Amino acid sequence: MSAHVNTSSRVGTWLLSLGVLVLVAVMLLPVAFMVIMSFKTGAEIASDPLGLPGSIFFGNYQNALSKMSYGRSVLNSISVTLSVTVLVSFIGALAAYPLARLTNPVSRALILIVALGLSTPNFVTITPIYVIFREIGLLDTYIGLILAFTALNLPLAVFFYTSFIRSIPTELDEAARLDNCSDFQIFWYVIRPLLGPATATLSLFVMLMVWNDFTYPLLLLTDENKFTVMISVYRFIGNHTVSPQDLFPAAVLGSLPLLVLFLFFQRRIVAGVTAGAVK
Amino acid sequence: MNMIRAFNTQSLRRYRIYLFTLPAIIVLGAFFIYPILLTAKLSFTDFTGVGIANDVGWKNYERIFTRSRYVDALKVTLLFTLIVVIIQTACGLFFAALLHRLHGIRNLCRAALFLPAMMSFVIVGYVWQFIYSPFNGGLNALLASIGFESLQHNWIGDPDTALFALAFAHIWMFVGYTTAIFLAGYAGIPQELDEAARIEGTSAWQRFRHIEVPLLAPSFTINIVLSTIGTLKTFELPFIMTRGGPDGATRTLSLHIIDSLFGKYKFGFASALSIVMLILVILVAYVQNRVLRAREEAI
Repeated sequence: MSAHVNTSSRVGTWLLSLGVLVLVAVMLLPVAFMVIMSFKTGAEIASDPLGLPGSIFFGNYQNALSKMSYGRSVLNSISVTLSVTVLVSFIGALAAYPLARLTNPVSRALILIVALGLSTPNFVTITPIYVIFREIGLLDTYIGLILAFTALNLPLAVFFYTSFIRSIPTELDEAARLDNCSDFQIFWYVIRPLLGPATATLSLFVMLMVWNDFTYPLLLLTDENKFTVMISVYRFIGNHTVSPQDLFPAAVLGSLPLLVLFLFFQRRIVAGVTAGAVK
Repeated sequence: MNMIRAFNTQSLRRYRIYLFTLPAIIVLGAFFIYPILLTAKLSFTDFTGVGIANDVGWKNYERIFTRSRYVDALKVTLLFTLIVVIIQTACGLFFAALLHRLHGIRNLCRAALFLPAMMSFVIVGYVWQFIYSPFNGGLNALLASIGFESLQHNWIGDPDTALFALAFAHIWMFVGYTTAIFLAGYAGIPQELDEAARIEGTSAWQRFRHIEVPLLAPSFTINIVLSTIGTLKTFELPFIMTRGGPDGATRTLSLHIIDSLFGKYKFGFASALSIVMLILVILVAYVQNRVLRAREEAI
């Protein structure tokens, strides 16, 4: 009897798994569609919108690569991402240390401001940021873009590091203090080396956000040489008559770096993003 | 006396450590708090980006709440948020409830569902715009190939379906996120509870309804609050896919802000819209938090 129940429930599980897999595959169809379309010639797209290409056609990519200054914009995105990551993790961790170690009204007030920053949409501040940047000459500069992204990501970083540092035993601080270390020395030599995992997760967040964000670079940059990847994609595809032969290769090129990254680090990315949300 | 001095230097030392927050305070002060105050100030002016900002009192706000196009934008924004939050939470719960039971495919499916969240709104917007397009777009071609020509539709060209079409693309993008958060919630449910209920002879649906759903209350809170905050500011998908059309059916509040800012150079008015959005987000997030936390505690 129990053996019978087991086999029937195993078959049930198997069928259910198959059903879910099919459903998930359907969810991924748009991504497959994007990749397949990018290898089709214009004639194939027009005559057979859903079919596979007769042969893999690289012409769309050649055209896109020659016209959208892909390499340049990838380099821009990477350097902005790296700068923002370094700034955000240093400033964030530094601010998080006292907030994690002292629980008093000062800490609570500061944490409240950070929480407010966490939930405020950047749309509330784009008008004044544009005005301020124009006043002080930061429009259309890398520094302006980096500062804007740093401010946007900082609340998350402070939150993240605060809860991470709280889990580090205070005995470590106290031992260092007995050795006459200053607060900064404790932070730099005792706490900072332990922050690796938190920094790794945080940089994934920052990377995702900076690579994919569209609003800030759209508003703050006008010089083509400074464009990030998404602005290049947007400018290349254009918005009046969208040609599928431009759209799909540009979409693949724009997503490729993060999709490859996701392939290698998917477990870490999903866990990190989930943990970040739960905290 | 000595004790007081000792106490003072000690407490001074304790507070000196707050100097560490100075860089963060400067960055947040300059690029977050000051801008918010400036937005509030500009919202009472007719500032056009150049020249002098004249004080106009409440005129900008009056305009927002008396012109039907802005009231409509508010309605569109709220409706879009409602559709996305409800369907995305339901779909995420559906996938998580199944995947929780299916160890063999759980990690694979979680990653696969999460993949679209790695893509940019810009790319998702363009790809879905093409999928929805009336001429050889992917969806209509698919419908034709399985013999449902009658269902073919100009999905984002028809005011009745455009907002739903956009909401679907948004949900497609983030359902993996919701699923992952629910799965994390499932991992926190003690297994003994499920086994005990199983021994009592309860059905899978009963266990889901009366054990899992109540115990997932914190995950519901996180998912609902996060997706609400994320959706209320929706800008990229309508900007790329429909430009707010057809007939204003997808014109959200943030699209109006960008439009007033860079289409019409009405900085003062854009600021007033931004303040309305800030109040909306804070209000909704606050009420949701209160209600959902109360629900968590009631369980």
